[in-house]
Formats: sequence, C-alpha cells, structure tokens
Amino acid sequence: MDRYSILVADSSETSRKLVINLLKQKGYKVYKATDGAGALRIARSIFPDLALIDINLWGIKAYEIGKIIEEDGLSTVVYMIRKPDDNFFKQLKNMNLYAYINKPVNSSQFYQTIEFSLMNLDKIKSLEKKVENLENTLKARKLINRAKGLIMENLDISENEAYKLLRSKSMDKCISMEKMAQKIINKYLPND
Amino acid sequence: MQKEYTKEAILKKAKELEVEFIHLQFTDVMGVMKNVSITIEQLEKALNNEIMFDGSSIDGFARIEESDMYLRPDLSTFVVFPWSPVGEKEARLICDVYKPDGTPFSGCPRNTLKKVLKEAAIKGYTLNVGPECEFFLFNTDEKGEPSLETHDNAGYFDLAPVDLGGNARKDMIFTLKEMGFEIEASHHEVAPGQHEIDFKYDNALRAADNIMTFKMAVRIIAQRHGLHATFMPKPVYGISGSGMHVNMSLASLDGNNAFYDENDEMGFSKVAYQFLGGILEHAPGYTAMTNPTINSYKRLVPGFEAPVHIAWSASNRSPLVRVPAKKGNSTRLELRSPDPSANPYLALAVVLKAGLDGIDKDMTPPAPVQSNIYDMKKVERKEKGIESIPSNLKEALKELSKDEVIKESLGEHIYQRFIDNTLIEWEQYSTKVTQWELDKYLRKF
Repeated sequence: MDRYSILVADSSETSRKLVINLLKQKGYKVYKATDGAGALRIARSIFPDLALIDINLWGIKAYEIGKIIEEDGLSTVVYMIRKPDDNFFKQLKNMNLYAYINKPVNSSQFYQTIEFSLMNLDKIKSLEKKVENLENTLKARKLINRAKGLIMENLDISENEAYKLLRSKSMDKCISMEKMAQKIINKYLPND
Repeated sequence: MQKEYTKEAILKKAKELEVEFIHLQFTDVMGVMKNVSITIEQLEKALNNEIMFDGSSIDGFARIEESDMYLRPDLSTFVVFPWSPVGEKEARLICDVYKPDGTPFSGCPRNTLKKVLKEAAIKGYTLNVGPECEFFLFNTDEKGEPSLETHDNAGYFDLAPVDLGGNARKDMIFTLKEMGFEIEASHHEVAPGQHEIDFKYDNALRAADNIMTFKMAVRIIAQRHGLHATFMPKPVYGISGSGMHVNMSLASLDGNNAFYDENDEMGFSKVAYQFLGGILEHAPGYTAMTNPTINSYKRLVPGFEAPVHIAWSASNRSPLVRVPAKKGNSTRLELRSPDPSANPYLALAVVLKAGLDGIDKDMTPPAPVQSNIYDMKKVERKEKGIESIPSNLKEALKELSKDEVIKESLGEHIYQRFIDNTLIEWEQYSTKVTQWELDKYLRKF
C-alpha cells in the first residue's frame, strides 16, 4: 500500500524538525514548507493526504491557507496551535476534520491525532465515493426513464419494447444507455 | 462585462447570491486601486450615489479642505468575486468620484478618461482598445516575502515537475471568464516566469476598467497558488520586461472601423494616418503617463523587443507603433511602449488625446521603417529623422511639461499631483547608492 504523504508547514525550525522527525519515524512520506505560499505550492504539486499547518505560519495567514487548501481540494488541513481560543474553534468548525494538534507536541497524542485524521479521511473518502456512485446511478436511471417515456409516446410501443429498443440502439453505437437516453431526449426535446 | 444592470436588478442579484460585502472601487492618480468597502445593508445607499469618503486620505487625491467626496457606482461594472469563500460572498462596483456639489472630481482618473472620450464622441468617434498584459509569477522565499525565484529550490526527487505558473494561469483564465472576460490568448512569455493573457478589445473605458480588474484578479489567484504576481515593468536585469501593448482603433458612431480604407495600399484610412501622426508626434509628451515609474525605463532599452525609437512599421516589431497585418474591421495600431505600471485610465486618455490632435491638425506620419531600427547606425536614424522616446523618468516629465495638448487632457489637478509625486520618487531614487555603483566604484577609487 502507498505510504501516506504529509505536508508540514511551520515557520519555526525547531518545531518543524521535531514534527517531521516524529512523522518519519512512523514511515510517513513528509514534505516541508516554511511559509504560507510555500505550503500552497507544495500542496498544489503533490496533493498530500494531510497538511499540518502551524497557526503562526509566516506570510499568508494560516486560516487563509487552510481555507484555500480545502476549498480547492488540495488536501485536508490539521492545524497546530499552542493556545486554542474561541475564534480558533469557530474556524475549526468549517474545516473537513474537527481535529488539531496541541503544541508543544506530545508524541503519543500527536500520533493519535494523525492516525485518527488519516483513518477518518479514508472513511469519508470511501463514503463520498459511494454517494457519488449512487448519485450517478440515480441520474442515469432518471434519464433512461425519461427517454423510455418519450419513445413510448412517439412510437406508440410498450414500456418493455421501448427499453429493448434503447438497449439495442446503445449497443449498436457502443455507448452507455445513459448517453443514448440523453441523445434521444435531445432529439425529441431539443430545447430542453 | 457588457451587462447593463438597473439598481433594482443589482439589489436583487446581491440578495439572491447572498453577497455580504461590496467593494466600491476607484483608482488614484498613481494607478493604485482603492476600495471603500460597505455591507449589503448600505448597498442601496451606494446605488443612490450617497456613499461619501475622505478624499484627503488618498494619495494624490485632494486637499484637506476639499476632502468630502462622493462615489457614483457604474452599474454595469457589478461583479461578484468568484474566489470569495462560500457563505461570505463579496462583490464590487467601479465608481466615479464626484464633488459634494455634484460635479465630477477632476482628480479622478476615470473622469479624465471619460472627458477625453467625450471629446472623441463629439468628433464622431469611439476608441476601442485591446490590451496585452504581461506579468511575472515569482515564488516567495522561506519567510513568505516575494522573491525573484521562479522555481522551487527544495528538490524533491520523487516529484514530477509541476508547472505551478502554468496551472495558476489556467486558474486565472477560468476566474476571469467567470467575471465576464473574453480571453483571446494566453501563453508563456520569453522570460522564465513571465506570462501573458490577452483579452478581447472593448471600448476604452471598459478596457481600462478591465485592466484594473485583471491586475486584481491575477494577484489574488497567484496568491492562492503560493505565487507572487508582479506587474513591475522590469523586475530582472538581462531578461525581457513586462509590457502592456495597446491595440487601438477608432470606430465611427455607427460601429464601423474608422481606420480601414480598402483603397489604401496599407488598408489605412486618412483618419488612421492622422491619428498615427498624432501618436508619434506626442510620444515624448505622453510617455510619462504610459511609463510612469523609474523602473519603466529599464524596460525601454534595445534588445528585448521593447521600443526605443519613435517610428512605425507594418512588419518589424522594434518601433513604437506596429500595424498588425489584419485588415478590415480588425485594422488597428499597436502601441508597444506602455507597461502595466501605467494608470490605464490616464494612459488611454493621453494616447487618445494625442491621436485626436493628429486628426485636428491633419498630421502626416513619416514613412514607415521596414528594417530593424536597432541595427541602424545613429547617423542613419538621424537622416531618417527617427527620434527616441525619453530615456528616463526625469526626461519624460520634462517632455510632458512641454506638451500642452497632453497636459490639457490630464487637467491641472492630475498633472500637478502626478508631477509632485513622481519628482519625489525621482529624488529618492537619485540619492540612493545602488549595488551597481558599489560594484563599479568601491574598488576602483
């Protein structure tokens, strides 16, 4: 299995090195950034599984970086912060995961948060995929039903016959029934 | 951005899209965009031209005693920013600045351009402009400050090379299209890290608005990609600088290209020749406006496709004005000297004024040059009467001060503010000891 890749964006050299070492010990693939813009460049190049972002990152503000990374689907952000305040928790609510890393880093807590984040991400991703598949199937089914209805109406044939016609047409053209259905709808209802 | 909105339509649209903030934008004399930001509750007030701001706090704007200024939004410029995050939508309106007595403020560059456009309209013309804007995308250093690097030095061997600049440019085009731009072309330029995006020609006022919007969008999208976009004319010695070539044509009020005449050998009408005559005649005078920074003149040197000599040509790219081969409705002049540090409103105002003066005084341009002017000997250029554009900002200011036609188009207020501001900059620059001087003289003397 591929190793997880993690971006560490922290302007403090000491804490950056510490975090990177901890991650390397567990075998993660680690990338580093020392400023906000650098973090964005790396996120856009490698799409890491996780992006650990220190709240005091130099350059563009950490919250801004976090938003851009998640809005553009580059990665999932876990902030690192010394003293989380109310505003921080408010910002956290808008992020993919409700998780953060407390500084100074406590190694067992740190590993727990990283593993928790990666595992939850995998689950979210597989659920998202399922939802997407279901949505696509539903969309296809709607199209096929609509096309079937149009064929029945225009050729005055039974539902079963219409379905068979649709299926054989799409086989003839070597395209999916969904695409054929769309073509039929376009033909009968060009302005739809 | 051709939509014409009514007040009601804007209010409705803003509400529908859940816009929370509206930026009322205008441009100061030095070409920097300013924002007065209001909340949605104040939008109606803004649309009724009732939003006021303190003009004395803006660079080169107004004296303290005339500080109350009103913003009049141009309703056709309403755009919702595509990059604003979900739930916090922001929009903008470009505004004209008015005095409390309801007359246009003469220190507002957009008003200045409108004034010259009105002069053209009285003569029966509108100006169409297609700009070609170049810029650099640089990386930031480890502290997040802009650098001159175009590639990341941190070599990750397992990374396939990613064209960060190219991806950012794609994103920019996508965003600009969403904002209503029609993009004509976009490509990598000569220098590493340099890019160009051209958008479709439009009437001069809209083109100037578009240039300001373009610069803003490019900067914001670059930032989202971890890059720093700069419109500085010549950021790196020894490689090409960034220009903003201006393609211009006059249209008669019925919409036909007034520059085209099928009976002419070059396809040029009499008006086109007169306009060209004015553009060449006033080139020394308006250069301070098309190239308003100290750095601008480091781009205008031989060897980098930037013009140095006041001449025109149909084929060669070295002179100030090129006539692209396209004819018919696409007949146009390409002015190659302007750079993106120019205030687009003022740059287009002075260039149009120069052309109109050519028409008024029935000017005739000199014969076109067909060979590369850089290769000509000095004597040869002198024989042909080919002059140079000003070689630095100080010289350009001097030429501007001698050109009454260009000064008149700017108006006393803007002219004075521009001269004052620019002279301060020149003074600061002249008294600085540069690295070049240290390298040259520290050991020698």
